[in-house]
Amino acid sequence: MVWLKTAAGDGERRIVLAGNPNSGKTSIFNALTGANQKVGNYPGVTVEMKRGSFALGDESYTVLDLPGTYSLTCFSPEERIARREILNPPPDVTVVVVDSTNLERNLYLLVQVMEMNANPILCLNMVDEAGKAGQQLDIELTEQLLGFPVVETVGHRGIGTEKLKEAIRNATRTPSKPQRLVLGERLDRAISVVEPVVAGAKWRTVFKPPARWLAIRLLEGDLEAIAWVRDNCIDPDEITKTYQAEADSLALDTGQHPGLHVADARYGFAAGLLREVRISGMRADARKISDFLDEILCHRIVGVPFFLLAMYAIFWLTFSLGQYPMTWLELGFGCLGGWIDALWAQNPDSMIRSLLVDGIIGGVGGVVVFLPNILLLFLGLAFLEDTGYMARAAFLMDNILHRFGLHGKSFIPLITGFGCSIPGIMATRTLENERDRLTTMMVLPLMSCGARLPIYLLLIPAFFSEAWHAPILMFVYLLGIVLAAGLARLLRSTLLAGEDAPFVMELPPYRMPTLKAILMKMWSRGWLYVKKAGTVILGISLLLWALSSYPEKSEYDVDAAIAAGAGISAEEAESRRTAEDLEHSMAGRIGGALEPIIEPLGFDWRIGTALIGTFAAKEVFVAQMGIIMGLGEEEGEDSPTLRGALQELYSPLVAFCLVIFLLIAAPCMATVAVTRREAGGWRWASLQFFGLTALAYVLTMVVYQGGRLLGL
Amino acid sequence: MSHGEMTRLTGSLEDYLETIYLLIRDRKVARVKDIAEARDVRMASVTPAMRRLAELGYIHYQQREFIELTPAGEEVARRTMARHDLLRRFFHEILQVPADTAEQDACAVEHHLSDESMERLVRFFEFQRLCPRWSGQFLKTFHGCSAIHPDLQECPSECEFKRRSQGPAPADRIGRLSDVPPGDECHVVQVTAKGAVRQRLIDMGMLPGTRVTVERKGPGGNPIWIRMKGFQLSLRKGEAAGIDVTA
Repeated sequence: MVWLKTAAGDGERRIVLAGNPNSGKTSIFNALTGANQKVGNYPGVTVEMKRGSFALGDESYTVLDLPGTYSLTCFSPEERIARREILNPPPDVTVVVVDSTNLERNLYLLVQVMEMNANPILCLNMVDEAGKAGQQLDIELTEQLLGFPVVETVGHRGIGTEKLKEAIRNATRTPSKPQRLVLGERLDRAISVVEPVVAGAKWRTVFKPPARWLAIRLLEGDLEAIAWVRDNCIDPDEITKTYQAEADSLALDTGQHPGLHVADARYGFAAGLLREVRISGMRADARKISDFLDEILCHRIVGVPFFLLAMYAIFWLTFSLGQYPMTWLELGFGCLGGWIDALWAQNPDSMIRSLLVDGIIGGVGGVVVFLPNILLLFLGLAFLEDTGYMARAAFLMDNILHRFGLHGKSFIPLITGFGCSIPGIMATRTLENERDRLTTMMVLPLMSCGARLPIYLLLIPAFFSEAWHAPILMFVYLLGIVLAAGLARLLRSTLLAGEDAPFVMELPPYRMPTLKAILMKMWSRGWLYVKKAGTVILGISLLLWALSSYPEKSEYDVDAAIAAGAGISAEEAESRRTAEDLEHSMAGRIGGALEPIIEPLGFDWRIGTALIGTFAAKEVFVAQMGIIMGLGEEEGEDSPTLRGALQELYSPLVAFCLVIFLLIAAPCMATVAVTRREAGGWRWASLQFFGLTALAYVLTMVVYQGGRLLGL
Repeated sequence: MSHGEMTRLTGSLEDYLETIYLLIRDRKVARVKDIAEARDVRMASVTPAMRRLAELGYIHYQQREFIELTPAGEEVARRTMARHDLLRRFFHEILQVPADTAEQDACAVEHHLSDESMERLVRFFEFQRLCPRWSGQFLKTFHGCSAIHPDLQECPSECEFKRRSQGPAPADRIGRLSDVPPGDECHVVQVTAKGAVRQRLIDMGMLPGTRVTVERKGPGGNPIWIRMKGFQLSLRKGEAAGIDVTA
């Protein structure tokens, strides 16, 4: 077992926040740390790690926002991470954030933290909502009974934050002495037999788990704890013998599996505590409005159409509102390019100019112009998430998606992929289970993104009669969906095989999120996108720029032809020079070298060269074909000249194959880079890249060779 | 004296060796009087056995002196003890025979089991303790079975033993949560689901006795939406089928 170290630096106090999903833990985290946050992933897994810090007086505190969990068992990566962070090294303070409107279940987690010597503080969040519903608690008595501080907060409004900070400071100075947990006479007896044996054992590791915690986990039959004892105890036999005997006799006496009995005992403790401290409970109709909304929004028949409408509204807003800042950004980058061009007015062939304008501005600019769209989309998704509607959407879509090994929550990332794969892949974060998340990420590029549309719009009208345009376009999109579904099933029965993760999903009441909260969420995800554009995408842009610019050609065939007396206009000569440049460049040569490989698909070196460009961004294909045909790069997808030139060279079958190939093959570099980041390593990113390319190759070859046999 | 002859001892002689071993271990000395006491027999019947053991080379024995085990004697004593202990644990831990009966039965059986069967029993015992592929589920299921503990709640309702012992009435009233129509209320009897789903349900508070209301079902009847302990939850039909409920 690897025990992760995310210890704070010297002199910094390490605070961890634990809590159920939907307990408002993130709002407490935001209230504590403000803008001092860092979002990343735990190494090797796709679980998000959020860290931040705050200062109070002279002391600074680092805060770690653990993944939201209902429990601290070893059944999911999130829970394993959360419990390791609480165990080793023990934090200075563990703040357990609970939803005051749902105390019983939330306190179940608190009980588990109390087993761990983690210097807990109980943070009763959303007390306003609970108060409105009529709930009143005796806080002083709660503190007395628990033996550690209890603070009331309203996270998203910042109420109680200062008190919480003070409580944290006091707790770091004088750790509290929690009351001993009483888990029922029979269980306590079993624990008191196992605990001293565990406490007296000698370990091979420096880390010693709290004896009482380990004793309970062993009695429960926690596989990770059992394995840990086996691997790290110098003499595990005594512990093993003791806990097995106790667990067996516990089972015999209670008639329950020890695991179930322990859970029962924890719930018993929570219920007992609440009986003591609750002055008045929540009214039964506290969720009246939320329930009424669900009657409509989650209706068996109306629910799905409403959801699709909501999605449509978000996409519409994304593109219609996003179009303005997008134009400004394009203008800005254009001006910047023009301004740099002007600096090299005397020497337009300068390498530095080309590097700056075509390489950096062209490459990064091409990605950054989508930022407004992406931010708006993230804003919409953050709104859906924070209102609680996302869970309903998953409820509505799960029946269909589960048939393909996906999860109800996969729907939104997938549909986002029709716009652009990058925000789609980033939206997979809402999926709690790693296998679901990876499957969704892997098949997501098959959702035909917006950048591929220009290619279809160029090729389909060029080769097919008008009656066939819509059906073929439809076919391409459907092919992507069918392949994604098939591939998801395949992945779930091979590489990502395994039992389905529990769908068991909480449906929190609808809540109106604060603007600040959803803006922060939008920004933290948008920032990742910007960072990506600034690093990996910049690097690959430069590489592709170099590939298509070097080596330079000094003597052009066109010039020789003009010298020989051919009548060629100056404009056409310039275009043909550009084409020759590209052919001569590394990209052109690679395209040429690729020809034997892509020949079975019906593609020639021209297509090969343009395909290299599609790795930067799919829509580059159109411009690259324009250049290579000697028509200049200004030819758009609706250019009759470009279409004419293509018709002369290729058959409709080749065009169709090209469409299929571009749909499936090699997601663009930004997608690969984001996948690497989100999936936590190159392994999945390269599988996605090469796997999809191989699939495209085989499928296209089958279509092309089949078509040829049929005489097309 | 060859080893081959030494291995075959009568049961009572093996027991004597064991007793001597324990006495030396616990009290440092073993005299005929002590042995007689420990085995609850007359001293007169101990003496011939001691002579026989000395003859066979298992002990050093002279009248009115402390008895000492030879290395060979110690080996037999230990092996006998180990076998005894293993049998006792097998009866008690695996078959769930009460401790005192297990002790008696171990005594009765230990001398009569062939080496081969004994060896297999040892292997089985070690296997269930050490094999990483053994989940313990089989044993847990057996231990939780109403065939040996007639009033266990954990035993699945469709169990034939349980039905025979309790009659058909309760089993008939128990259904699955997945079959409860929207709008109906029920109580959890037990969670039969396994693995992560089971753990998640239990962590969410799906414990025996919990009241659950089915609120609605998704398009196509799946997933289902329930209310319990003041919150709402959705779960797939397959998962809900792993929860036994009763009105």
